[in-house]
Amino acid sequence: MMQPNNDENKYILEVKNLKKYFPIEKNFFGKPTRYLRAVDDVSFNLEKGKTIGIVGESGCGKTTLGRTILKLYDVDGGQIFFDGEDITNLKKGQMRKYRTDMQLIFQDPYSSLPPRMTVGNIIAEAVKVHKIVPKEEISDYIKDIMDKCGLQPQYYDRYPHEFSGGQRQRICIARALAVNPKLVICDEPVSALDVSIQAQIINLLKELQNKLGLTYVFISHDLSVVKYITDDILVMYLGNVMELGKTEEIFANPLHPYTKALFSAVPVPNPDVKMQRIILKGDIPSPANPPKGCKFHTRCSECMKVCQFKEPVYYEATPDHFVSCHLYNPEIMNNLAQYDAEYDEIKRQEELKEQIEMEKKMRKKHEQEKK
Amino acid sequence: MKKNNNNYISIKESRKIIKYNIKQMRYYESLKKKKLDVKDYTSVMHDENNIIEIENLKTCFFTDNGTVMSVNGVSFDIPKNKIVGVVGESGCGKSVTSLSIMQLVQAPQGQVIEGEIRFNSDELGQNEEGQKLGYNIAKMPTAQMYKIRGQDITMIFQEPMTSLNPVFTIGYQLDEVSFVHTPHISKEDAKAHSIDMLNKVGISMPEHVYKSYPHELSGGMRQRVMIAMALAGNPKLIIADEPTTALDVTIQAQILELLKDLQKKQGCSIMLITHDLGVIAEMADYVVVMYAGKVIEKGTASEIFHHPLHPYTIGLQKSKPLITSSTNEPLYSIPGQVPNPINLPPNCYFKNRCNKCFAKCDGEYPEEIKITDTHYVSCYLYKEAGGDNDATK
Repeated sequence: MMQPNNDENKYILEVKNLKKYFPIEKNFFGKPTRYLRAVDDVSFNLEKGKTIGIVGESGCGKTTLGRTILKLYDVDGGQIFFDGEDITNLKKGQMRKYRTDMQLIFQDPYSSLPPRMTVGNIIAEAVKVHKIVPKEEISDYIKDIMDKCGLQPQYYDRYPHEFSGGQRQRICIARALAVNPKLVICDEPVSALDVSIQAQIINLLKELQNKLGLTYVFISHDLSVVKYITDDILVMYLGNVMELGKTEEIFANPLHPYTKALFSAVPVPNPDVKMQRIILKGDIPSPANPPKGCKFHTRCSECMKVCQFKEPVYYEATPDHFVSCHLYNPEIMNNLAQYDAEYDEIKRQEELKEQIEMEKKMRKKHEQEKK
Repeated sequence: MKKNNNNYISIKESRKIIKYNIKQMRYYESLKKKKLDVKDYTSVMHDENNIIEIENLKTCFFTDNGTVMSVNGVSFDIPKNKIVGVVGESGCGKSVTSLSIMQLVQAPQGQVIEGEIRFNSDELGQNEEGQKLGYNIAKMPTAQMYKIRGQDITMIFQEPMTSLNPVFTIGYQLDEVSFVHTPHISKEDAKAHSIDMLNKVGISMPEHVYKSYPHELSGGMRQRVMIAMALAGNPKLIIADEPTTALDVTIQAQILELLKDLQKKQGCSIMLITHDLGVIAEMADYVVVMYAGKVIEKGTASEIFHHPLHPYTIGLQKSKPLITSSTNEPLYSIPGQVPNPINLPPNCYFKNRCNKCFAKCDGEYPEEIKITDTHYVSCYLYKEAGGDNDATK
């Protein structure tokens, strides 16, 4: 592992073994007994001025990851380095210093804007709180920002309900950019918008990145958008990272069976292209009760015996391309027979246990009948 | 400044609108109450092989801000055993078109004011001249519609959670279809039929699902149940209104595969409404592109995707990044927004956003121009190109 301080200039965000567990069951004394592992052991580095895409199905922990990075949730394990400094255990007041550097754009532009504030006030609120510009210059400053985001200055005194979805998303972006952030977390910024408006917003985000040198964490389930906008991709499934690497590399050469299936499921707008579909069976298992071993094994087409009891570890298949699948781990693939035997023994023991329980039940029944 | 803005109306205007609305709504509601003979709501089908023919359909909503023409003169056909895809942005009237077919438009505000929806029913024979007769759904009385709705024409909605009743079991809701449409059916038969349907849509434990409540199922399973419900009446046309929008990509692939499979097996038509061009390309045989309540282009899937003509269709296809291509150039984006549906401009609705606009576009809304037998486009760009010959006929 590299020391964070040495790479202070290179990485703006480093996430190491990040964990976020939500308690779902509590015992009599209020101590949690069962957890929902929303984010489990996620690590990645993000260079300045780059974009990382977080991809996955609903309920895989994409949004939780984004919010945990912002420390809107408490971290349950692991570390977050922002600009080379550890922000994992900072308290609320201490975090304030970093708040202007990290901003969030929400998915739904309809519910994330306060309906009773004017556009100018919405954008200016954070500027006033953090005292970014002197009071007299605020209105000019806001109009400048609005201009950057493609909003006309006469919108300053209007209310959010007077705008269409695309315009509202521009307001959200302007609000996020008003405090000069370094890192912007975009939580599905375009999925609530129409296709023709989506393109406008995506272009705006890209343009702003080039102009202001922003770094994005781009959370989305739309793979074609992610491919267009990102430099790196992180594929998540039930809180775990399945694959991590450069966007081009992952799209050209997906390794994990889940990534392959995910990519092949995207419909292509060309009636002549008949893609070889890998259709996954069944649904995503409940994150409260994930399967043992590899979390994907219940739907995997290349499931082996090892997958059912041993959790895969990160493996660097090619440089900068990480995958957590047993198929690409030579240590496991070379000793398959040994693991198969292990699996068989586990199964045998389970069966034995079941048998014993069955016998117990039968005995009880007999006793009751005798009575 | 504010007076010129369309978003504001004075109290005087507002009262005027409300008065007008009440008058209109009363008029259309009274039309519905009239006793009609079968002859009044049957009409001649143009083509026997079409299951539905929509001609010049106009559906409007009388709102407090003015009359919204949600569907403004839409015509297209749905052939038998084919999938017709309807694409468009939100608010372009694709859902209202489908609701008009089902006679489910929210009344009394929403009314079908003009046009015909001809449904090719087997019950009606041919007239004296040997032409096939069909029901005109736009004028059909509600009591008659009950027989068609849910049996011959069924619908799959976007949100499976909100369209299933949370307080009844899946089995109860599925059986209901049989009880309504098959008189004197016994409980056992209805249950057997329902379980058969659940089996057909690929649910692995139909007996278990039969007894469970909607909240116990996942999104994909719920959508499967909805499809089972739509299939229960052996329909001739299934209207799928954004059936996969609320689902994940992998589940979407499952559902689309299932729909395609069932369509082939059952031999019914599907009207697939979506905003995702990828889904349309995958599924549809014919494509209808809608914009602001009008059909701007229609044709077969390959015509629309390989030779799109209308600037809007071209823009729509260019503005979506492709998973198969990798470019770093900025995406093509259609500037501006959809016009306000209350005050539509007298000329082409797309004029303000169009990049190929020229002098002729200032005229009236362009008529539909025939390019090939199946391909129609309404844009002045193609008026000279070949449309003139047909127009003179």
